[in-house]
Amino acid sequence: MPYEEVKVKQPIIFKILAILSLLTFFGVWEFIVDAGIVPSTMLAAPSKVAILFVKKLTQANPDGATLGAHAWMSAKEAVTAYVLAIIVGVPLGLFMGWFKVVRGLARPIFEMIRPIPPIAWIPLCIFWFGIGIWGKVYIIWIAGIVPFTINSWVGVNMTDPALIQMARTYGATDWQIFTKICIPSALPMIFGALQISLAYCWTNLVGAELLAADKGLGFLIEMGRRLAMPEMVVLGMVCVGIGGALIGIVVDVLERRLLAGIRR
Amino acid sequence: MTPKIVCENISKFFIQKGKQRVHVLEDISLEVMNNEFLVILGPGQSGKSTLLRIIAGLETPTQGRVLKDGKEITGPGQDRGLVFQSYMLFFWRTVMGNVEIGLKLRGVEKKERRKIAQHYINLVGLEGFEKHFPHQLSGGMKQRVGIARAYANNPEIMLLDEPFGQLDAQTRMFMEKETERIWQTEKKTVIFVTNNIDEAIYLGDRIVTLKGKLPGRMDAIYDVPLPRPREHTDLEFVELRQMITDKSELVL
Amino acid sequence: MSNTIADEIVHHVKERQPLTIWSVLGNEYFLYCVSFISFLLIWHFIAAAGLLGLATPEATIKEMIRLMSVKLAGKNLFGHIWASSRRILIGFAIGAATGLPLGLFMALNRYVNAIVKPVFDLFKPMPPIAWISISILWFGIGEPSKVFIIVIGSFVPCVLNAYAGIRIIDPELYDVIRVLGGNRRQEIFYVSFPAALPALFAGIQISMSVAWTCVLAAELVSSRSGLGWIIIRGMKLTKPELVLGGMAVIAIVAWIFSAATSGIEKLLCPWKRGIKEL
Ligand SMILES: Nc1ncnc2c1ncn2[C@@H]1O[C@H](COP(=O)(O)OP(=O)(O)O)[C@@H](O)[C@H]1O
Ligand SMILES: [Mg+2]
Repeated sequence: MPYEEVKVKQPIIFKILAILSLLTFFGVWEFIVDAGIVPSTMLAAPSKVAILFVKKLTQANPDGATLGAHAWMSAKEAVTAYVLAIIVGVPLGLFMGWFKVVRGLARPIFEMIRPIPPIAWIPLCIFWFGIGIWGKVYIIWIAGIVPFTINSWVGVNMTDPALIQMARTYGATDWQIFTKICIPSALPMIFGALQISLAYCWTNLVGAELLAADKGLGFLIEMGRRLAMPEMVVLGMVCVGIGGALIGIVVDVLERRLLAGIRR
Repeated sequence: MTPKIVCENISKFFIQKGKQRVHVLEDISLEVMNNEFLVILGPGQSGKSTLLRIIAGLETPTQGRVLKDGKEITGPGQDRGLVFQSYMLFFWRTVMGNVEIGLKLRGVEKKERRKIAQHYINLVGLEGFEKHFPHQLSGGMKQRVGIARAYANNPEIMLLDEPFGQLDAQTRMFMEKETERIWQTEKKTVIFVTNNIDEAIYLGDRIVTLKGKLPGRMDAIYDVPLPRPREHTDLEFVELRQMITDKSELVL
Repeated sequence: MSNTIADEIVHHVKERQPLTIWSVLGNEYFLYCVSFISFLLIWHFIAAAGLLGLATPEATIKEMIRLMSVKLAGKNLFGHIWASSRRILIGFAIGAATGLPLGLFMALNRYVNAIVKPVFDLFKPMPPIAWISISILWFGIGEPSKVFIIVIGSFVPCVLNAYAGIRIIDPELYDVIRVLGGNRRQEIFYVSFPAALPALFAGIQISMSVAWTCVLAAELVSSRSGLGWIIIRGMKLTKPELVLGGMAVIAIVAWIFSAATSGIEKLLCPWKRGIKEL
């Protein structure tokens, strides 16, 4: 038998280094604040952030909502906009890939709007929607739609011509070719947009909430600054980071399930 | 005459995925004479590439050793040139840039190295393509660059790892002729790995066959006393081909 | 008449068709013109009807032309473009100059990687915009705080792409250098760097677009100059032509930045010129 299970010792030094590095990071952070090297008006020690975290779980003051309420608000906005981006972006991209007329008409507008950073829409959004949820959803949606449209479009265009030819010889109509061949073969590309779009959405969500909101994690960060409470700023940043990572993991699992689904 | 290369009882194990030990080569012993064209013939997954990489010095054998001119090989060196199965051209360099890279690494002055590189580009028949990038070349042309690159470094021993494995049959036959022509022009010791019997008989002075399925083991050694250039349809060619097919589990 | 790409892919060697009304109507460039003109027309009519609080395209263009000579807060339009661009260029230069080498080091050295990666991973999922508030706490509302956000924003994609660029290199390419008699330093200089160059540029492109988002956010939060400030100014004065003009100018300038980056990439990576990519 050529194959045989063996136990191989992994060098443990790298794990030790990684743990040491993290410990040093938090240690130095705590130390420079406690020792007053960095004034406490500019940075909060990790311990203080942790205390505030526990407090904010139940307490709405001083910014008007508990941490859970802020997080829930942000999640709601992000998910709504993300789903809307899929619902609009994917069909748009698919049609742009398939119908010449749709591509000819939609592409110039798409290319004109694309280079505008989504948060540049904030003034218009405030005017159109006020500072409620829909203005932010609009901005996040603008950010999230781009990867879905592009990937669907490219996905359709990358369909294997041999497959189309084969379907032709069996007498399939254009519409059948589109739905039965082009869309399935574009799916992996479209799934590839899930993560990219999510990152754009999350970034712009924070931007939108910093500028026009009365609730949400971005708002929490900005309130921390206005109230001169660095621990609140840091808490908001940490939550944004953890939230982004969590949604990323969920989407990653989803993507894998979906990919496994179409392989079968 | 002492042999150029001696492999003494080489065995090789790999650790895969950090937990699985694979036995790839078992007890390989062979000798290669100076200026000999030796072909190693074996099916896929028989450790051919691994054996060649051990001789090149890119891997160390788990057991046994490789001697060159009586001295043990401990690492790669300029004395052995390797032509890779999947070309491995530097896609960011032109044909000229790829061929001259070995000389550049050794600090050969620009005018000199251009001259040498040009000589080998002409030798492999790529004159006029010096400024092309690899992606602009066909498969056969890419491997010509690979051969010129190894040659330009002026090694004593050329190691070729299924160099024409990715080419279509026609280009492949043509490249075999070219290989023979180049070898006749500048004689070197050659170890040529292939999984194709016709290629082996067409090119080899001697053929070493490996048994399929891991671990790869020596099967037999054949002398090919046919005069060059050889013809695939010659009676002796066909007979030898039949003999090797009968004796090994290789089909085709 | 073919109206889907199926025909384009399958019959790409079809002979030239005679010029008919249908072939003109179906022509891609004709459709682009139709699309562009109807976009402007619809925009015009919505604005002229006083809906959505928009200014007409004419008013927007006129306002932008006016701003070329008239000073707003001490700067004409080009002054504001330069104000934003300068922040981006400085912040981006610092971010790339630190991020790219760090990413390369992390990919090339396991010890550096083991030490830096855990801390870097802590910061990675945090959007750069989230740093605006703390940046103002640290640096006040002047230039440094804006530049700082752009540094953060361009740093992360630069590290990630430099790292990935080295990691995706086929290890056999290093073997080429080794069998030719090269050493480790030569492996890095003759393989790692050139092979990772396209990935570095991909990182730079992403950094650029993140940088524009960051500079806008920073200018929207607090500033006295820049394109983001023009937009906010338009909002405060309820001058929609200023808001729309600002957005249009941002789109143009951001596009020029990205085109310039592609241009430099083509210059530095001549082998990519022939490869067609989407
Ligand atoms: N560096 C390596 N690490 C782990 N396994 C390897 C390595 N190189 C080769 N192998 C294993 O060795 C086996 C034989 O490979 P190879 O020498 O390429 O055979 P051949 O060239 O005859 O096809 C393969 O199954 C491969 O998985
Ligand atoms: Mg092989």
